[in-house]
Amino acid sequence: MAIISKKIIKDIFFKTSNILPKPYVNYLLFGIILVILPYIVNGSTLLTIGSVIVYAIAALGLNLLLGYSGLISLGTAGFMGLSSYFASYLTKDLNFPFFASLLISVFIPVILGLLVGLVSLRIEGYYLAIATLAVAEILRRIFEKFIAFTGGYVGKTADYPNILNVFMLDREGTYIILVIFLIVIMILTHNLIQSPTGRALLTMRGSDAAAQAMGIDILKYRLIAFALATLYASIAGVLYVHFNELTYPTIWNLGLSLNILAIIIIGGIRSISGTVLGAFVVYSFSDLILKEIPFIGEIPGLSNIIFGVLIIVIILFYPQGLIQIFKNILKSIFIRKDVKASE
Amino acid sequence: MSKKAIVVNKELSNDIVLQVDNLSIAFGGLKAVDNLSFNIKKNEIFGLIGPNGAGKTTVFNCITQFYRPNNGEVYFRTKRDKVVNLVGRPVYRIIRLGLVRTFQNVELIRELSVLDNLLVGAHIKYKTGFISHMLKTKKARKEELDNRKKAIEVLKYLGIDHLKDFLAAGLSYGILKRVELGRALMSDPNLLILDEPAAGLNETETEQLAETIRKIRDDFNSSILLVEHDMRLVMNICDRICAISFGKLLAIGTPKEIQSNKNVQEAYLGKDD
Ligand SMILES: Nc1ncnc2c1ncn2[C@@H]1O[C@H](COP(=O)(O)OP(=O)(O)OP(=O)(O)O)[C@@H](O)[C@H]1O
Ligand SMILES: [Mg+2]
Repeated sequence: MAIISKKIIKDIFFKTSNILPKPYVNYLLFGIILVILPYIVNGSTLLTIGSVIVYAIAALGLNLLLGYSGLISLGTAGFMGLSSYFASYLTKDLNFPFFASLLISVFIPVILGLLVGLVSLRIEGYYLAIATLAVAEILRRIFEKFIAFTGGYVGKTADYPNILNVFMLDREGTYIILVIFLIVIMILTHNLIQSPTGRALLTMRGSDAAAQAMGIDILKYRLIAFALATLYASIAGVLYVHFNELTYPTIWNLGLSLNILAIIIIGGIRSISGTVLGAFVVYSFSDLILKEIPFIGEIPGLSNIIFGVLIIVIILFYPQGLIQIFKNILKSIFIRKDVKASE
Repeated sequence: MSKKAIVVNKELSNDIVLQVDNLSIAFGGLKAVDNLSFNIKKNEIFGLIGPNGAGKTTVFNCITQFYRPNNGEVYFRTKRDKVVNLVGRPVYRIIRLGLVRTFQNVELIRELSVLDNLLVGAHIKYKTGFISHMLKTKKARKEELDNRKKAIEVLKYLGIDHLKDFLAAGLSYGILKRVELGRALMSDPNLLILDEPAAGLNETETEQLAETIRKIRDDFNSSILLVEHDMRLVMNICDRICAISFGKLLAIGTPKEIQSNKNVQEAYLGKDD
């Protein structure tokens, strides 16, 4: 059964690949699946999968930073939060249109990210982790105390986006916007990691000496990595506030940054599909699956325990993440079939 | 930075590619390179030899600016036939001038395929930036395609094109040495610096390497500076050799002259074997 459907999917890829390059078709198909997913799974799935998408976007940025350039950041939540407040303030208080607000809201965190990138030349490893954590904590304090702008502990609201004054979106419409953003970002990231820039980032991570000897300017590529990671995080922040209609300080804590890190490690470092898979595991597993299981679903904190164990198991046995297991299964199916076909 | 100090030109006679003048560097009290001078001519294969710890790799690092020498200058004739002093330039700028190196302990990227590792060597050839790369613009695609073709040619040249899709992580040391050589060639250098290219190779592989190095000099119209412990190889392919010991010059000359030089013999015999 599974094999037959694989064959059909394979045919589809081959036939459409004349119109679109193959990876794009995969991503677009995945987008379509995401759009219909909330309607075929019951429960409050729209909100859950919406969150998965938001965090997947931020995690894709962190994956570029950590997986490719080898730099760590524990500040993801801070950057997400910052842009969420800007988006809320600009659209709600100043009546900015969605896209104008988006541009400004991501601009400021990116500048901040660039500054962190500059610092990363001086400090690395644990120290960089702590420095980025400090930035995020300072931001969270600002969210709490700078009440005129942030609304303090109560937070700040935002509406579903209003696109070009034509589409007044509701929750379902906003969800589609999230999907579009995710798919576009997946494609752009896919392009990037297969480009000279992606190779330069990986080279920098693998060997400073080789990178420099080959003409790779370490500072430039660290800045690019940090800029992209904060760009993705802040886009995620903007989408978060419009989708949830609310932002408040306690969301943007260290726990969130660590969850985003967990997404990458569980799903698959240096893998786009792995990142998205990881986001599903971390952010929908307990809501969509665990809670549905009678009795077990009621044990408090169980999902945290499961993730803890999962992370340890993955680090020990599957350093490439869950996506590796997925790929191995697919490979065994395809390779067996190819052998048959050639006989 | 002090651009002016860098641009100061020196008259190098037309046939000289690299001129090292009074180079010195010390680590703590240890003088790793001590007032060393030599030059390399166009299309010359030039050997730098010396016992373990003599300072050969350190000389390479001072030329390529991985280390800042305490003293001395390194003049280089660029691809565009301009003479520049390399000292004080950022490391990552050196390759653009036409000088590229390999490492004593292979520095390849394990997660990249052989082909992609070669493309890293073409980094300076790309004119598009990361935004074009994300959008996969027409220009970016063309650049990538061109460099890919070239990388495959270089792989064929080195006889390892059948391995192009293999990850560097799983390959043998001898192959990796060749991949690293290929990566260096991608930048079209006019001076290629090789740190122990034959280390870890067996006899036939070393013979092949000798052939390859000669061919590279002719086909890429490049000069070659190499450090090597395999004396057969050095004596076989080098036009001239510079022998050092404890960072100091012992002798410069043809292989014959070096072999019969008393100081060199002492430095090697004094060590053992
Ligand atoms: N970064 C450094 N810090 C301190 N000492 C160094 C450094 N680099 C090299 N040295 C010292 O300088 C001396 C020369 O080392 P170098 O690596 O240049 O020798 P080499 O001739 O390349 O030897 P080998 O044939 O073993 O590769 C050695 O004593 C080494 O310990
Ligand atoms: Mg050495």
